[in-house]
Order: sequence, then C-alpha cells, then structure tokens
Amino acid sequence: MGTTDQGPPLVVCDAGPLIHLDELDALDLLADFAEVLVPDAVWREVKQHRPGALNHPGVTLRRITPRMAVTPELEVLAQVFSLHTGEWEALRVALEHRPGLLLTDDTAARLAAGNLRIGTHGTIGILVRAIRRRQRTKGQILAVLRSIPTRSTLHLKRSLLESVISEVEGSS
Amino acid sequence: MNKTVIQAELPPELTARAETYVKEGWAADFNELLADALRRFLESHSARVTEAFIIEDVQWGLHGND
Repeated sequence: MGTTDQGPPLVVCDAGPLIHLDELDALDLLADFAEVLVPDAVWREVKQHRPGALNHPGVTLRRITPRMAVTPELEVLAQVFSLHTGEWEALRVALEHRPGLLLTDDTAARLAAGNLRIGTHGTIGILVRAIRRRQRTKGQILAVLRSIPTRSTLHLKRSLLESVISEVEGSS
Repeated sequence: MNKTVIQAELPPELTARAETYVKEGWAADFNELLADALRRFLESHSARVTEAFIIEDVQWGLHGND
C-alpha cells in the first residue's frame, strides 16, 4: 500500500455491507466514496431482503450490469470459492473498474478478490473509517459497534467484536 | 460413519434446484448434496481467515490513506 494520500476510491458493493450498514443506520457512510456501484444480482438480492437500503436519501447507488466477458480464471474462482451470483457479479464489476474497492462481508468473496488483486473491505472497515474521515465521532462509532449483535444480521464472534471495540477505543 | 439427523427450513426454489441436480445424477442423493455444500462453505469460510480480514479492516479504517 502506498503512503501518499489518495482520494476516496470508487467502490463496488456486495449485498452484505449494504444490508448491514442500513440496519445500523450507517448507509450514508458510503456517500464518502467517489461512486458506489451495485451489480444487478446484488441489487435484486438487497431488494428482496432489505429494499429500503436501495432508496436511502443519503447515498446514491448506481445499478450496473457486468459487461466484461467471463474469463476461465474467474469461472474457476467462482467454483472454487462457491461464490453466489451477487458475489460473482461484484467481482466482475470490480475487475471492470480497477482500482476500485470491493465491499463485501463474505470471506470467500474476499479470498477470491485477493486472487484477482482486487482490494476488499467490509462493514467493520467502513464503520471504523468513518472516524478517520470525520463522518462520525469515535463515540458514535463505538456505540454502533456495540449495537451490532442486537441491531444487525452481521454475525461476528463476540471476542473478536470486543477486540475491535478495544482497538478503536485505544486509537488516537 | 455416524450421521446426525437435522431438520432445516429451505427456500422452495433452492430446494427445487437441488432436487433437480440430484435427479440429473450430479449427486447420489439430497443428503450428500447438502453435506457437500456445507463442507465447501466451511472450507471457504475459515474463522481464522475471517478474523484476519476483520483485523485488516480495522487497521484500514483507522490508518488508511484514502
């Protein structure tokens, strides 16, 4: 990773972060990125499970259809990592929009993206980043992190969440 | 091999697709297909890797340069 400051990147969203951020009243944090792309399959998935996330007044989501032909490498990765259609489309869109970031909470999708040299982050990263980007105070983000088990469908091991909270509490 | 009987609620569309897959001969039976799907999920969602990604997220969140 470079050391020079870079502007906020374009991001491609998988369903997880859209749903989880909306559950935590934090979807507006995505407005800080240059552009937020949502592949067709992800759009349909979110529409089914959390339709309100697609019409949030605080952020503009751009629905997009992957255009690039599916390469054999991508096809193999999708099979090896048992990717769902949404994750697969998100990878394809991210490949078409390098050097954009893929936002996903799915471990397999993150591993597959790593193989394609696509940067990835998840809901936790977006929340913590909001402190650095001055979108929220540290106190506000700590409150959101503590509310994850009761307010969201993002499943995290309790001890890991406590460790994340400690790290954020101790940050300057 | 010892087996555990489980009861699960599945979306009808997913069940129908799985049944078709079995009927076409791609899996011995529904149980084998479910066990294989579960095994693959657990292989590709290692807790250790997931944890490493979350820790990486926190570092990026706190100290990233974008």
